[in-house]
Amino acid sequence: MSEDYTEIESALRALRPRSPGPAVTVGIAQALQTPSRQPAPKKNIIVWMSSALATAACLCGVFLFSRDESNSLSPEYQLVSSEQSPAAIDILSPVELSDGSYARPVRLLWNNTTHWSDAKNNTQLIDYRPAQQLALIPVETY
Amino acid sequence: MSDAHSAQDWKAWFAENGPRLRLIARQWTRSDADADDVLQEAFIRFWKNQRHLPGNPNALVVTSIRRSALDLYRSTDRRSLREKTVSADADTMTWFEPEADPRLQALTDSLPQLPEEQREVVVLKIWGDLTFDEIGEQLSISPNTAASRWRYAMETLRKLISARTYV
Repeated sequence: MSEDYTEIESALRALRPRSPGPAVTVGIAQALQTPSRQPAPKKNIIVWMSSALATAACLCGVFLFSRDESNSLSPEYQLVSSEQSPAAIDILSPVELSDGSYARPVRLLWNNTTHWSDAKNNTQLIDYRPAQQLALIPVETY
Repeated sequence: MSDAHSAQDWKAWFAENGPRLRLIARQWTRSDADADDVLQEAFIRFWKNQRHLPGNPNALVVTSIRRSALDLYRSTDRRSLREKTVSADADTMTWFEPEADPRLQALTDSLPQLPEEQREVVVLKIWGDLTFDEIGEQLSISPNTAASRWRYAMETLRKLISARTYV
């Protein structure tokens, strides 16, 4: 700082600010000398911090475990084929319906087969689903 | 000035530093009563929770005072502010103890008349014992601006003192 201000700066430092009122000291004393509740909050903080750390550790463990498991066990199936077998047709005897007309029931039977394969584990997954459909074909009567 | 980090007895520390802290509070408030309230609240917070924090304890206590002063300013409605502004005019001579030396007395009379932005830099540098960098952080201005305000304040004080003592 400029030397020109040394004298005025020294004069400023020589000034004596007024002291706080006595009520300030009393107020501070009351606030600082009241029974401190510091230990309890510190204990609480430690308990909360421990709980938080334990929870975080559990979450990390679960995350890592599931991640590892997913890495090692997760199948990587590739679709090999999806086939529908030719339908077997059963033609049944005509029946009389409630309105007096006649119809011939026809039942269709077939299989849906889907085939996946996991080359890594040499695993085959085959979904085999029999299916059927019943239809009524009107029969003309004379 | 003893270090608040190592001080154990708040009374001794406050007896030594209370007047300068009160002046810092006073220049940000509108009356002696407000300055005392601000100082009390700020010191309690500083001593209980902040004095062990790393960094310059002077800057910490000044920050605490400034925060309390701003809180008080925000919590006071406009009407009471006007009332206190009127009464504050009569209070401006109570910042310092009276001085026998006419030159020093002229300085005590002149300091409150500085523009606020210059006055707070002077108070923080002399009685807050802060550097221009620290003053800049407190007031959200650059260190160069703080130094510039300091120079303007010194020039103004020099003129005011000359006018009061040699006319």
